[in-house]
Amino acid sequence: MQQPVPERLQVSPFLVLYLIMSMQIGIGVLGYQRIIAKDAGYDAWISVLAAGLSIHIIIWMIYKICGTVEGDIVAANAYVFGKKIGNVISSVFIFYLLIFALAVLRTFIEVIQVWMFPEISTFWYSLVFLLLSVYIVFGGFRTVTGIAFFCIVLPSYLLLTFGFALKYAEYRNLLPIFDHSLKEFATSAYNMSLTYIGFEIPLFFYPFIKDAPKSQKWAHLGVFLTTIIYTVLAIITFTYFSEAQLAKSIWATLEMWKIVSMPFVERFEYIGIANWNLIILPNICIALWGGSMILKRAYKLRQKKGVILLALICLVAVSFFDTRAKINLLNDWTAKIGFAVTYVYIPILFIATLIAKKVKNKNEN
Amino acid sequence: MRQLFKKKLMQDIEKEAARQDTEGQKPEQYLNEHEWEKALLKSHDFKRTFYVNQKTEKKFCFSFISTLVDESILQNNALPYLLEGELTEIVDVKSLIPIADVQVSDHNEDIETKLFNGYVLLTLEGEEKYFAFIAAQKEVVRNVAQPEVEFSVIGPKESFVESLDHNLNMIRKRVPVKELIIENYTVGSLSKSGVAILYIDGITNKDNVNTVVQRVKDIEFDEITDSSYIVQLISDNQNSPFPQLLDTERPDRIAAILAEGKVAILVDGSPHALIGPTTLVEFFGSFEDYFLNYLLSSFFRLVRLFAVAFSILITPIYVAALSYHYELIPKDLLSTLITSRREIPLPPILEALFLELTIELLREAGARLPTKVGQTIGIVGGIVIGTASVEAGLTSNVLLIIVALAALASFTTPVYRMGNTIRLLRFPFLFFAELWGMLGIVVSFSFLLAHLLKLTSLGRPFLEPLYPPRITDFKDAIIRLPFTMQYNRPQYLRTENPVRFSEKKAKQKKDIDE
Amino acid sequence: MRIRSFFWVLAAGITLSGCVEKEIIDDVNIEMGVGYDFVEDDKIEGTVMIPIFNPDKKIGNFTYSATAASSRDLIQEVQRKSAQPLVTGSLEIALFGEGIAKKGIREFTDAFERDASIGARVYFAVADESAKSILSGTYGNRGNAVHLSQLIKHNMETRNLPITNMHLYLFDLYQEGKDPYLPILKKVEPEIIDIVGIALFKDDKLKSELPPDKMFFFKLLTDKFSEGAYKLDVGKEKVVIKDLDSKHKIKLTKRDPYNITVEIKIKGLIREYTGHIVTPEIIKKIEKEFEEQVNKEASAMIKDFQEQGIDPVGFGQFIKSKTRGFDFKRWEDEYKNLTVNVKTDMIITEVGIVE
Repeated sequence: MQQPVPERLQVSPFLVLYLIMSMQIGIGVLGYQRIIAKDAGYDAWISVLAAGLSIHIIIWMIYKICGTVEGDIVAANAYVFGKKIGNVISSVFIFYLLIFALAVLRTFIEVIQVWMFPEISTFWYSLVFLLLSVYIVFGGFRTVTGIAFFCIVLPSYLLLTFGFALKYAEYRNLLPIFDHSLKEFATSAYNMSLTYIGFEIPLFFYPFIKDAPKSQKWAHLGVFLTTIIYTVLAIITFTYFSEAQLAKSIWATLEMWKIVSMPFVERFEYIGIANWNLIILPNICIALWGGSMILKRAYKLRQKKGVILLALICLVAVSFFDTRAKINLLNDWTAKIGFAVTYVYIPILFIATLIAKKVKNKNEN
Repeated sequence: MRQLFKKKLMQDIEKEAARQDTEGQKPEQYLNEHEWEKALLKSHDFKRTFYVNQKTEKKFCFSFISTLVDESILQNNALPYLLEGELTEIVDVKSLIPIADVQVSDHNEDIETKLFNGYVLLTLEGEEKYFAFIAAQKEVVRNVAQPEVEFSVIGPKESFVESLDHNLNMIRKRVPVKELIIENYTVGSLSKSGVAILYIDGITNKDNVNTVVQRVKDIEFDEITDSSYIVQLISDNQNSPFPQLLDTERPDRIAAILAEGKVAILVDGSPHALIGPTTLVEFFGSFEDYFLNYLLSSFFRLVRLFAVAFSILITPIYVAALSYHYELIPKDLLSTLITSRREIPLPPILEALFLELTIELLREAGARLPTKVGQTIGIVGGIVIGTASVEAGLTSNVLLIIVALAALASFTTPVYRMGNTIRLLRFPFLFFAELWGMLGIVVSFSFLLAHLLKLTSLGRPFLEPLYPPRITDFKDAIIRLPFTMQYNRPQYLRTENPVRFSEKKAKQKKDIDE
Repeated sequence: MRIRSFFWVLAAGITLSGCVEKEIIDDVNIEMGVGYDFVEDDKIEGTVMIPIFNPDKKIGNFTYSATAASSRDLIQEVQRKSAQPLVTGSLEIALFGEGIAKKGIREFTDAFERDASIGARVYFAVADESAKSILSGTYGNRGNAVHLSQLIKHNMETRNLPITNMHLYLFDLYQEGKDPYLPILKKVEPEIIDIVGIALFKDDKLKSELPPDKMFFFKLLTDKFSEGAYKLDVGKEKVVIKDLDSKHKIKLTKRDPYNITVEIKIKGLIREYTGHIVTPEIIKKIEKEFEEQVNKEASAMIKDFQEQGIDPVGFGQFIKSKTRGFDFKRWEDEYKNLTVNVKTDMIITEVGIVE
């Protein structure tokens, strides 16, 4: 149980949809097609769909946990493990959010460096970007949610641009369906981790939702929409590239923009990448907000200081990742940690919460 | 009858005096020793004249500031009666002279304020405690003119003037209900400006009213000469280039927004009234939108919004595309652009800054000069400098068109203040476009978005209905739906009575030829 | 105060070190066309074409040529000769000389593939004789690159050339069970370029060429939707048929050995007819004649492909999509024994405004 958040700081339940979608859609979507097709080939879109469906169970667990403890992750950990151990476990989430933000920021800068400006300075760009994020987080959760909202709504037109690739679609690529083993499907679904993670954020902002239990359906809808977007995009990609061609494409999503032609814009990818700036903005903002919130709740650090501290760590750390290999490693680890947090830790916490509740009820009786 | 009235009045005054006594005032302090008088005697427009009543031969004295007093009122409506009537004590003044606003008082501390409000102080020989104020204000007000900033072809042609009373009169006439509340406050240690806060009781949210009242009361400033001072002093975020209160010179607009449940602020001496809370999109709606059919006005609103986006973004996009993203430019356009730029020694950013500054100079010069000369400057500047700089090879003709269009687009913003903001916004965008091309434009857009998200107007979100997203409030935002669909007041105002009029539930559906 | 000074430092820092390299459009040489030829001693001659924008709005051309042992060295050579940095982002067309094409063009296309600034709509073409001679001519008044790319584009959209571009070439190249093809350009007159056929590739190597009169049938087999025109002899009369909308559908009729039916549906109209009057009977006759012609030509073409071991239509890919656990190693032989039937259905919808 934690202190209820005053209503003027809370947001409407349906905004959870945008929060979850904006956190999920980040840099993974730029090149997940190649990674998932490595194992399940062009059947991988089924894995995307299956992985997306499995998330709903986790969402359900998250809402059960938060509903039981009537609070966020810190409250849940304290509820189950006691205050001291709970806070230590909660700190792991600060690290998780930090590495998430770091991976997003660094990979996006890599995209800029490969596609637009090879000479752009990682440090200065990160500095400006983190300043922007800190500025937003200083506005509180409502502003962060606002950014999440706009950064889903404004770039949503980008989805239409993939329609240009449909002209070159070879639907035969997808056939025959189910030409891979279950294990291959599972590996491919596991490889979606980096692209899908981000849906666990209700754990952090649960108390900030007006009528929070009502927001569960919006969380489900958000995850569902992301799943649909990823699946459709995977299908479009698979029809657009031949299999060996996709295996060489690191950023398949961006490569599809190369075919787009409009009367006033010859090459769309530059506009698309610039727009992607908006898409990754809520990723960083929510991560910084969540991290600093845990710092505040677990260690009583003022959130203003917490945000600046986390942003500084990000800024320093981002310069260490200077080659493709290191960035890849960072992404791999983010995916692994993300998978561990969402598919391992949350179910454990869920069961632990149930047990703790039973025990506590018995004690009261 | 007269005696009775006199008696009652005296009782009232005594009662009041008794109250004053208990509060430690000194009513017996003699007038002449007062400090205000010493100070005022230094000014040449302070007048003091002595007269003798013909019947009772009592001496009386007028003290007033001649520049604030209409002396013909004194001559025609006060002096003859006071000289010829039976003036024995100060309360007789009330019955003698045919002026409505005559006050008998013993409050010495009021004298200064009253004198500066255009009252004449009447003191009578033998009456040391009481004196009278006779209202004889000189009204120097220009005629009600046509609105200039918010001119509309259709609709009322009245605009506010510099007198608070006149302005309130124009509003009262339009909202003749007792629920229209006008609260008055005095602001400014030197200017003593009257500030009126208007709202409709039972509609407007009390929180909004209280916020305004509190902020107006808290103003610490010496000389408030216009409502613009108030805007800057009570805005939620004073470091923002965005105006957070809408200003208007149209009394009809004030009446309309009062009915919506907003608060209006009028300042004495200012022909512009303030409206709050407001939203960003409201700045792009002209009041004329309500006079046109909703289809037309929706179209014009969309055009205006497009113009704003165009005005802010087009020059930065030019700079970004030409400096970094030649790939973006279609082949046919590429040759036009390169040919137009081949003689230009300046890089795109300097070229753009040069032209943007030229336009700003023209605007400034036009604004500072008298109307007729200003127009000439506009033509001379626009045509001569533009053509000359293209021919001299300083700027490319494509950019000249772009910058001129952008300037034109920025002038379509109905609210002048917002137009200025939009022109200013272009420069940070230009800076970032020069730095990182398209990416820079998106970065600066993100900053703008974040800033707008954090802005509030009287504590209400500034970006509403875009964020927080409220679909019902779109009925009068980016587009305007017909009046029949405007049956609810905007949600963000949190009005006490959200229903404007009852929606006709049973709309008869007619078939063809029925 | 501290915050303000911080922002000044920040602004100064960004302006000084945050800047990226500019490519101001009139300060770069925009490479719009590129060509590779084989010259003696196993050396490659690369030609880069840039447009010259004249003040009178006419677009001229300028070409840089360099000879080197590999394509990597070529770029260095050309950059050295260029007065302004050469940028590749607006590339319109890449030409490969026949000699190069026969040896394989992967080395060159890899560079295009890797370069993020090159779009996917670049046209690839094989140059009959030399790419350099094509690039260094002057065609039209909109610049050579635009001229060449529009020549190809218009022929793809409304005439008999099958749709190709860099993306489709790479798609076919990497697709198992399908081989790429490219148009062949030839300088027929000093100021005129003609499309003289289709180059059929095996992997990245030019294997054979298809003459222009077969292009119509080739397009029917490869493109999803196609337009084109064909001249047909019906008895003594000659008729020109404009194909408005045609589709093809491949069906697997039998396995072991594989038996495939290609169903082609054509909707067309009569453009020219040398006879006196077009009666319904004549239309029937023309339709029938045309169907037979298509069947004959297409079957012959496919036979030819099978003999040469190339598969531009993508039969291998088609059968793979119908078969679980398809093995491409065995396909090499199976392709030789594949039976393909072509069935055409032709409808003439209009005859023009006279009968």
